[in-house]
Amino acid sequence: MAELTIDGRKVEVAAGTNLIEAARKLAIDIPYYCYHPALAPVGSCRMCQVEILDPGKPPRVAIACRTEATQGLNVSTTGKDCVAARAATLEFLLANHPLDCPICDKAGECDLQDFTYRHGHGAGRFSEPKREKLKHELIGDHILLDQERCILCTRCVRFMDEYAKSPSLVVAGRGDRNVIAIFPGEPIHSNYEGNLADICPVGALTLKEFRFKSRVWDLSSEESVCTGCDRGCSVLLETKRNRLLRVRPRVNLQVNGHFMCDQGRFGLLDAANPVAREELGWVKGARVTAAEAATALATTLAAERGRWLVLLSARLTGEELLLATAVLGPLAKQLAWVPTAASGGDDILFTGRRAPNEKALERLSVPALDEAAAAKVLAEPATAGLLCFDAALAARLLAQAKGKRLALVDVVRDFDPAAGKAPHGAELFVPGTLASEKDGTFLNVDAVLQRARRAQRWPQGTVAEAALLLQVAATASLSVAALTQKPDLTFALLEALGQPGMLLNQLPDDGVKLTPTAAAVSA
Amino acid sequence: MENYLSTEFRRATPLFLEEARAKGRYRTAQRVFETLTPEQVVDEVKNSGLRGRGGAWFPTGIKWSFMPKEPLKGPSYLVINADEGEPGTFKDRQIMEKDPHLLLEGILIGSFAIRAETAFLYIRGEYKLAHDTLAQAIAELEAAGILGDAAFGTKRKMRIVLHRGAGAYICGEETALLNSLEGRRGEPRPKPPFPAVWGAFGRPTSVNNVETLANVPAILEKGAAWYKSAGTAQAPGHLLFGVSGAVERPGCFELPLGTTARELVERWAGGVKGGRRMKAFIPGGASTGFLPPDRLDVPMDPESLRKEGTMLGTGGIIVIPEGVEIVDAARVFSRFFRHETCGQCSPCREGSAWSDQVVGRFQRGEGRTEDFVLLDAIMRGSKQRTICVFPEAFAGPLGSAVKHFKDDLMAVSARRAAADAGSGAAAHGTASHG
Repeated sequence: MAELTIDGRKVEVAAGTNLIEAARKLAIDIPYYCYHPALAPVGSCRMCQVEILDPGKPPRVAIACRTEATQGLNVSTTGKDCVAARAATLEFLLANHPLDCPICDKAGECDLQDFTYRHGHGAGRFSEPKREKLKHELIGDHILLDQERCILCTRCVRFMDEYAKSPSLVVAGRGDRNVIAIFPGEPIHSNYEGNLADICPVGALTLKEFRFKSRVWDLSSEESVCTGCDRGCSVLLETKRNRLLRVRPRVNLQVNGHFMCDQGRFGLLDAANPVAREELGWVKGARVTAAEAATALATTLAAERGRWLVLLSARLTGEELLLATAVLGPLAKQLAWVPTAASGGDDILFTGRRAPNEKALERLSVPALDEAAAAKVLAEPATAGLLCFDAALAARLLAQAKGKRLALVDVVRDFDPAAGKAPHGAELFVPGTLASEKDGTFLNVDAVLQRARRAQRWPQGTVAEAALLLQVAATASLSVAALTQKPDLTFALLEALGQPGMLLNQLPDDGVKLTPTAAAVSA
Repeated sequence: MENYLSTEFRRATPLFLEEARAKGRYRTAQRVFETLTPEQVVDEVKNSGLRGRGGAWFPTGIKWSFMPKEPLKGPSYLVINADEGEPGTFKDRQIMEKDPHLLLEGILIGSFAIRAETAFLYIRGEYKLAHDTLAQAIAELEAAGILGDAAFGTKRKMRIVLHRGAGAYICGEETALLNSLEGRRGEPRPKPPFPAVWGAFGRPTSVNNVETLANVPAILEKGAAWYKSAGTAQAPGHLLFGVSGAVERPGCFELPLGTTARELVERWAGGVKGGRRMKAFIPGGASTGFLPPDRLDVPMDPESLRKEGTMLGTGGIIVIPEGVEIVDAARVFSRFFRHETCGQCSPCREGSAWSDQVVGRFQRGEGRTEDFVLLDAIMRGSKQRTICVFPEAFAGPLGSAVKHFKDDLMAVSARRAAADAGSGAAAHGTASHG
C-alpha cells in the first residue's frame, strides 16, 4: 500500500495504482481521453496532466495515467501549470473538431463537450481552415466512423487489440493526417464491436442502431441485467417513450468488467419492442384477451391436476421460478426444465448458453430433463399435455410427440392471430412478458445474483407470469401464503437459495455473489 | 590533436577491410576483446567525457553503465541510430559511406562494453549507398571471423543486423526507432521504462549514434586523457560539423568542440556564397532554430549554445543569406515538422499543424500582431507536455524566428499584403505563396 496526498487530502491505495484511480477514490475527477481502466495506458492525449510537488523543487507537470502512486507522493490537480497544460490540450483538440454537437449522437455524454464546459473555452482562437476527413463511414456491422470528430485517443484501436482480441483498427497516416481506419476491405467483425461506441470519448464512433434516434438526455435509463446468456452482464436499458433505444454495459467488476457482447446488446434491442398483448390470448382455436386465456389455463390445470408436463424456462426471473415451483409443482405430472446447449460462446464474456437463469433452476433443485427424456414423458399416454414457458422448446417437443395438447406462456413476436392458428398449434396461449419488462433477479454462471429492473411498461391487459401463477394457485385452491407472507419474493428466493436476508430493493448495484452450495462444494 | 574521424572522407571509394586492417583498424577492438573487461571499457569511456553525438549530448559511458551486469538473465542489445534525419546534418553518412569499419569497430567495442552479442544497426531508408557499403563491410567481418560465434577468436559471439528505416524523421527518436525496428508504428514510447530497462524486443538496450561509436576506437586506443586534450572541458573531443546552405564550400568538417560558427563558415566553408551578407544561421540542425549573425562568435559546444537559448544539436550549420526571408525559411521547417510529427500526442499533432498554418499566413501577408501571442501559446502548450521532445524541435525555428526576427516577420507580411493589394490580384498572390 502507498499513502499519498492529492490536493491536500490523504488517500491510501495499492502501490503502483495510477493517479487517476487514486484520485477517483477521493472523488477527485481528473479528466482523460486516451486512458481507460480496462486498457493499457499510452499517455498520448495529455488531458490528465497534474502536478507532482517535490519539496524544494518547482512543481513538475506529469500525466496522471502513467504516474504510479508511491508512498508520500504529493499531487496537485489544481496547480496553475497543470490547469494551463490541460486547457492548452483542450484548445488543441478543439481546433480542428467540427463542433457539430447539435447533430452529434454523443452530445450530452461527450467528454470533449463536458471538459470544455468545465475548462471554459467559450471562444476559440483557431481561425484557419479546418481539416477535412472521412465522415459517417460504416466500418463494421454496427459502427460508423467520423474521422473529423475523432481526437485520436486510440482507445478503439487498443480495445480491438487487447480486449476483443480481434485487431481490426489502426492509426493510419502521420501527424495531423492521422486517422483511425480499418484495413482496406476488412470491416470489423467481432462480437464486441458495440463497445466501441461506448468507449469513444467523442462522437467519432457511433452506433448504426442508435443513430439519430434520440438525444441522450431524453433517455430514461434503468440498471438491469443482460439476458442474452448466463454471463448476465450488468447493463443499462435506455428507453424513450417506452421504446428501448439503446443497451449499454454497466461497470461491474465481478461480472462483466466494463463491456458486453453484441449478441446480448443487439439481442435485447431486437427483442424489446413491445407488442400489444391484450388481444393476443388464444383458447381452443379462438382469439381471446390475455386475461381470458389466463383464466382458461388456470381452470384447465386445476381440473386436470397431475396430468400436465410443466417445463420452466431459464429466461424467467428467480422470483417467477420460485412461484412457479410452488404453484405448478403440486399441479403438474412432472415439473422440470431442459438445459440449454452452449453454442458460439467465446472466452471473453459470451458463454453461448442463452439461458440467463439456469443457475437458479439448478439451485432451486428443479429436476433437469434432456429434450429426449422430456419428449418421452410428454408422449406417455397418461400425460395430457405440455405447459411450456419457452416457445422454441415447445415446438421441438411437439414435433416428437404429435397430437399432444400444448399450453404456452411466452413472448411470440411473429404471432399473427388473423391466420387463425395459435403459435405451434397451442390449445392455450398466454402472451408472456419481455426481459426488459421484468423486475426480478437472475443468477449468473458465477453465482452472482443481480437485479433486472423493468425498463419498459407492459401494455395494458398483459397478464404477467407472476399474476398468472397466482391466478392458477387461487383457481386450484393452493395456498402460496408461505411465499406471499414473506417481505418480498426475492427474500423468499434467497431463503430458498440458502442465503437469506435481503429484499429486492436491498440488492447492491453489482449484485451479490452467493456462496457455493453444499453440493457444489462437495463436488 | 590529429583528426581521427574524417581521415578517409576524401576517398573516392570506401575503405574496406583489407586496407583498413593495414591501417591498424580492429587492433584496438581485438585488444579490448582479448584483454579488457566490460567495466574497464565503460570506465575509460566515462573518463573520456564522450557525449552522445545524436543531438542530446548525454554522456555515453553513463548510458552504458545503466545496462545490466553479469549474470545476464537474457540478451542485451546495442542499437545504432543511423537514422540521420535532422535537416542540415550529414556527418554519419560520411562515416558510413567512406569509412564503414570505423563505425563497425566502434560497434564491436560498444557491444563488448554492454555485454551485447547482437547489435541492430538501424539505418535511414534513404541512405542506400551507406546501407550497401555497410552490408559489404559486415559481410567482410563475417568472412574474417570477427563477427560470428567466436569474435576475434574469443568465446564471445557477435553479430550485427542491418535494418533499413522507411523514411520517417521521428524514427530518429530512440524509442520510436525501437518500435520501428520491432515492426511497429514508429511512435516514441512513454518513459519510463527507459531503453536500458525495456528496449528492443523488451530487452535492455543502449541506443547510440553513429558518430558517437566512431569516437570509441580512438578513445580506447589512445586513452581518456588524450581524448580530453581537445574540445571543451564539458564536451571533449572532435565533432563532425556540417556546414550547408548559402556558403561557398559546403561540407563536413572535423574540428574540436567549441570552435566558433564564424571559423566554420568563414574559414572552412569559404564564407557566404557570392560574398553576400548573412541574414541568419542555424547552429545545429533544423530544430535548433535561427540565430542572427551577431552570434557567430559563440563557441559551438552544448553549454555555450544553451546560454544562447538554443542547442548544439547535431552540429549541422545552415547559412541563410540576405535576400531570403526568415518567414520563408521558417515555413520550410514548419511544413517539415508538421509532416514528420508522429501525431500520437494531441499538443504536438495539433500544435505543429496549427503553427504551420499561422506561419503560412505570415508568408501570404496575413500576419496579425495577436498571432505572436497565439504562437507562444502553441509552443508553451506543447513543449515538455508530450511523450518525446518533438515540440521542442518544431518550436526551435518557430520560437527563434519570433524571438530574433519578430519585426522582420511583421514587415514582410505587411509588404506582401501591400504588394497583393497594389497589384489588385490578392487572390493570385495568396495562391502563389501557398
